Amino acid sequence: MNEILGVHKVSKQFGGLRAVDNVSLSVNQGEIVSIIGPNGAGKTTFFNLLTGQIAPTEGEVRLNGQLINTLPPHARARLGMGRTFQIAKPLIALNALENVMIGAFLHDAPLSAARDKAMAVLERVGMAHLAARRAGDLTLSERRRLEVARALALQPQIVLLDEVMAGLNQSEVGHEIELLRSLHAEGLTFLIIEHNLKVVRAFSDRVVVLDRGGLIAEGTADEILNSPVVIEAYLGSGHAGSGREFSQLAAQGARA
Amino acid sequence: MDQILTVLTVGILLGGIYGLVSIGLNLIFGVVRIVNFAQGELVMFGMYGTYFAYTHLHIHPYLSVFIVAPLVGLLGMVIQRLVIQPLTSEPNMQIFATFGLLMFFQNTMLAVSRGEAYSVGSMAGTGVLELGDLKLSSVRLVTLGAATLITIGLHLFLSRTMAGRAIRAVTQDKRAARAMGINVERTFLITFGIGAALAGMAGALLTPIYSITPAVGGNFILAAFAVVVLGGLGSVWGAYIGGLIVGIVEAFAGFYIDPVLRSAVWFIIFLIVLIVRPAGLLGQAGAEEVGFREQH
Amino acid sequence: MNSTNKPPREAVKAGAHDVIPSARSAWGKYAAGMALALLPFALLFDDPHWVNIIAVTYLMGGLAAAWNIIGGFGGQFSLGHGVFFGIGAYTTASLFIRFGWSPWLTMVPIAALAAGVAMLISWPTFRLRGPFFAIATLAFNEVAFVLANHMESLTGGPRGLMIPFKAGIANMIFSQRWQYAILMFCFVALVIGVSVWLRRSRLGYYLLAVREDEDAARAAGIDVLGTKLRGMALSAGLTSIGGTLFAMYLRYIDPPTIFTLSDIGVKFALLSLIGGIGTVAGPLLGAALIIPFENWLRAEFANSLPGVSLAILGLLMVLAALFMKRGIVGAIESLFKRLQGSKSKDRP
Repeated sequence: MNEILGVHKVSKQFGGLRAVDNVSLSVNQGEIVSIIGPNGAGKTTFFNLLTGQIAPTEGEVRLNGQLINTLPPHARARLGMGRTFQIAKPLIALNALENVMIGAFLHDAPLSAARDKAMAVLERVGMAHLAARRAGDLTLSERRRLEVARALALQPQIVLLDEVMAGLNQSEVGHEIELLRSLHAEGLTFLIIEHNLKVVRAFSDRVVVLDRGGLIAEGTADEILNSPVVIEAYLGSGHAGSGREFSQLAAQGARA
Repeated sequence: MDQILTVLTVGILLGGIYGLVSIGLNLIFGVVRIVNFAQGELVMFGMYGTYFAYTHLHIHPYLSVFIVAPLVGLLGMVIQRLVIQPLTSEPNMQIFATFGLLMFFQNTMLAVSRGEAYSVGSMAGTGVLELGDLKLSSVRLVTLGAATLITIGLHLFLSRTMAGRAIRAVTQDKRAARAMGINVERTFLITFGIGAALAGMAGALLTPIYSITPAVGGNFILAAFAVVVLGGLGSVWGAYIGGLIVGIVEAFAGFYIDPVLRSAVWFIIFLIVLIVRPAGLLGQAGAEEVGFREQH
Repeated sequence: MNSTNKPPREAVKAGAHDVIPSARSAWGKYAAGMALALLPFALLFDDPHWVNIIAVTYLMGGLAAAWNIIGGFGGQFSLGHGVFFGIGAYTTASLFIRFGWSPWLTMVPIAALAAGVAMLISWPTFRLRGPFFAIATLAFNEVAFVLANHMESLTGGPRGLMIPFKAGIANMIFSQRWQYAILMFCFVALVIGVSVWLRRSRLGYYLLAVREDEDAARAAGIDVLGTKLRGMALSAGLTSIGGTLFAMYLRYIDPPTIFTLSDIGVKFALLSLIGGIGTVAGPLLGAALIIPFENWLRAEFANSLPGVSLAILGLLMVLAALFMKRGIVGAIESLFKRLQGSKSKDRP
C-alpha cells in the first residue's frame, strides 16, 4: 500500500499550551480517513499543521514520502494536497468556471486548456450548468461543491476536507456523500474532519479520534462509535448530545 | 554635550507636537480599525477655526480649544456615520474615501482662503524659557504639556468611564463586545468624534507654532502614521511615547545628517516597526493583526 | 487515479466557450474600443487646445491602466506609483540632457529599472494589509519627492530639469502637438493591449485570485507574494514608460510636478475607480471623463477659486467609493443585466 500522507509523532506547542500532542497518522492511497473529536480537541490545529498554515514544533509531516514540515500552503498544493475550507471561500467576483480554472492553471498554463479542464471538472461534480454563474450568487452547498471542484482541478494526490458538510441540510448532505463516494470510487484519497457522525459513518474507511491534542482511538467507524473511550471523551467534555448520537448510531448497526 | 542636549530638547518638544496630533489618529486607528487619511485635515480645520475665533471673536488660541474641538468632533462623527460606516467591510474603498476627503477638505479650504496663509502671529508667544544654556520655546512647552495632560486624560477616560470601557472592549474584540450588548456602531461614532476633537484640539494648540495653510495637515500625517505604528495600536501612552521617539530621532537625523530627510525618517521607522515588531512598543496583543488581518 | 484526466467532450467544450469570451471576441472588442478612442482625435486634430487635452487623456488613461494591473486586477492599492513615474521621467530626461541618448532606446531599460525597484520596495511591504500597504506606498512617494529635491546633481533639485527643444523623431520631440497625441495613443493602446492579454493569462487569473481571497489562492497552489511582485513589476514598468513620454511632452519636470499625489500617484487610482476598477476599459473611460472635465474646471476657476478642480475630484472619489464602486463600467453592466431581465446564460 502506498502511503500518501504520513504524520509521524507531530506536536504543536503554543507557549504553555500543547495543542497537538504526539499524533501519528498514516493515510494510504485510496483510503478515506476521518478525524473526529470533541470541541477543543485540536482538530483545527492539527489540520493547519497538515495544510501548512503552521509548522509543527516536533515531528514530521510527509506527502508521498517527501518531508513537507516547512513547506508553505501553496507549495503543498502544488505537490498534490488539495483542500477545502471550513467557511467556504469562493472567489466571489469570478464565475464558477473561472473559480475552477484557478486550480486548473496549475497544470495548464494556456487559457483554453485550463478552461476546458475546468469545464470537465465542473461536469464531473454536476455543476456544468452553473459555469457562468457568479460565485457570489451560489448557494452554500454549491459553494462547497465549487471548492471541491477547485481542489480537484489540481489533480491532487489527496484531498483534505474541513467540515465540508457544515451548514448543509439532510438532502444536501446526501448529495455530497454521493459525489464524494463516486470520486473515491475513481481512486481519490480523502482525509476529512467532520462533526457530523452520520457522515463519518457513511463515508470512512478509518476513523481517528483526537481529544485534548492527543490521538485517543483509531479504528473502523463501527469500532469507534462503540468505543467507551471515545464516548467518554465526548460526554466528558459536556458533549451530551454526541453521547446520545453515539448510542443511536451504534444501535443502528450496519445501516449506511 | 551641549549640542546633544539642545538637539534632544528640540526632539522632545517636536515629539510633544507629534504626540498631540497622533493621539486622535491612534484612537481611531485602534478602535475603528481604519486609516483616516484625512486626519491632518481635521487638524487644519482646528487651526482655521482657531484663527477665525481669534480674528473675529478675539479669543486667545488656547481658549478656542473649547469651541473648536467640539465642532471638529462633530464633523468627525458626521464623517464616521456618512462615509466610514457604510464602508465597514471594504478596507480598500475606505482608502479612496478618506483620501478623497483629504483632497476635498484641503482644496475647499484652498478655494475659500484663496491660498492666503494666515498666522496668529506673536500673540500667543515668542516667549522663551531659559533653562541654563537651553532655550525652550514657550509655546512648544505648552504643547508638550498639553499632550501630556491629554494623554493622561484619555487614559483615565478609557479606564474609568463606562464609555471608555466600551471603547476598549470593542478594540479588543468587536464580536465579543457586540455579544455583550455593546452598541458597536455607536462606539465607533463616539470614538471617531473624540479622535476628531483631539485633532481639532491639536490644531488650536499648534496655531502659534505653524503658519496656517490648507496643506498644513500634510506636515503631520506621515509622521503621525509612524508614531501610531511605533507606539502600538490601541495604546494611548504608546502614541505619546511614540511621538517623543519620532521627534527625537527626527531631530538627531536632521541635525547630524540632513533636515530635508525627515520624511525618510518617518518612513524608515514605519517600515522597521511593521517588519520587526508589528505590535509596536505598547500595542495590545492582537492589535498588530490590523496591519495583517482584518478584525471579524 | 484522478477523474479529471478524461478528455473533455465536444459538447462540454462548446459550453466553456460561452462562459469565457473567446480570443477573437476579446481582441475584437479591443480593436473596436481603441478605434472609438481614436475618434475624438480624428475629429479634432487641428485644434491644438483639444489635441493637448486628448493627448493628456490618452497618457493618463494609459497610466491609470498600468496602475489597474496591480491595483485593480491584483487588488493592491498602491499610492506610490509616482515613484515609477518619476523614475521614467527623471532618468529619461537626465540621460537625454546629459548624453543625448534617445528616449526610444532608453525607455525600455529604464522601465526594467523601475520594475526592479518596484519589486525591491514591494517585497517587504506586500505583507501589509490594504490600508497599511497604502500608507507604505504613500511614504515611498514622499521619500522619492525628498530625494528628488535633495540630489541636485542628478535631478536638478527644486529647479528641476529642462529638456531643450531639439525636434526630431529620434529624440521623441515633436514640433506638432498632434504627433504627440499619436504617441500617447500608442502608449494607451499598448497598456490596454497588455491588460487584455493579462486578463486572459494565468498571471492575470492568479492576480484576481490573490485579490479575491489569498488563502483560497494558496490552496490552489498560487505563490501569492510572487504573483503580487510580478504584477507590480509589470505595472511599474508600464508606468515608467508613461513617465518617459510625459517628460518628453512637457519638457520640464520638477519634484512637485512628478510627485504631487493628487495630480499623479493618486490620480491614476482615481481614474481607474471612476471608470471601473479591475476592468480593462475602465481606466481609459475614467480618463476620458475626468481629464477634460478637470481641464475645464481649471480653466474656469483657476483664478477665482484655486483648488476647485481637486476639491471636486476628491468629492467624486468619496462618492464613487460609496455609491459607484465598480465605476462606469460596472454601472453599465448593471444596466445591461437589468434590461436583459431573466434572460440568463445558464442552461437549465
